[in-house]
Amino acid sequence: MTKPFSMKNTIRVERAILNITQQDLAEKIGVSRQTINAIESNKYVPSTVLALKMARLFKKNVDELFLLEETD
Amino acid sequence: MESKLLLPNRYKRIGLILLIPSLALGILVRFFDFQFSFLTLQFVKTRINSKDMHLEDTINLTDEMALTGIIVALLFIAFAREKTEDEYIAQTRLESLKWAVLINYILLLVATWLVHGFAYIDVMMYNMLTVLIIFIIRFNYVLNNSKKSFD
Repeated sequence: MTKPFSMKNTIRVERAILNITQQDLAEKIGVSRQTINAIESNKYVPSTVLALKMARLFKKNVDELFLLEETD
Repeated sequence: MESKLLLPNRYKRIGLILLIPSLALGILVRFFDFQFSFLTLQFVKTRINSKDMHLEDTINLTDEMALTGIIVALLFIAFAREKTEDEYIAQTRLESLKWAVLINYILLLVATWLVHGFAYIDVMMYNMLTVLIIFIIRFNYVLNNSKKSFD
């Protein structure tokens, strides 16, 4: 499966800072653990709603969590 | 994201429980000519042209039962909501359906050219179920793969 967009994210890093597991993060924003895993491994680009929820949880701006790759 | 047209999560288990006896019955019917005698219906046909002739027709509904059981069970498994049904799972679901339809017709095309005569009836019989089977396998394979994490 190819990536729909060339984008990277810092979710795994932010999660490490808060010291929470994928399961914890999933529960906090109401998604499945598969979703968090797919986002972290760049297999899935989340919806704007989900991105905003994560940004609120990590107290960051969305464009600090999700970054367009140079190749775009 | 609200996913419509899905059954509650428990239907996955109900489907699996229903699939086992239905599949067993289907195999018995298909390969061992098994029939439940109480499922035999009799019809008496009367031909107008030849008044004396009465043709007795019987239909046995064992195979109808088996196929209904298998299809309903597969539908339950395929359309059961995941425990946490979210946008990624909805996307995986749609993608898996796309895969299933595509692979199903590729298999059908290949079989059309490779299988001839009466055996082709078998191809069409299995083809009734392959869309759902391929979908279930692909969908669960992808979700299982995304479960493996490196926390």
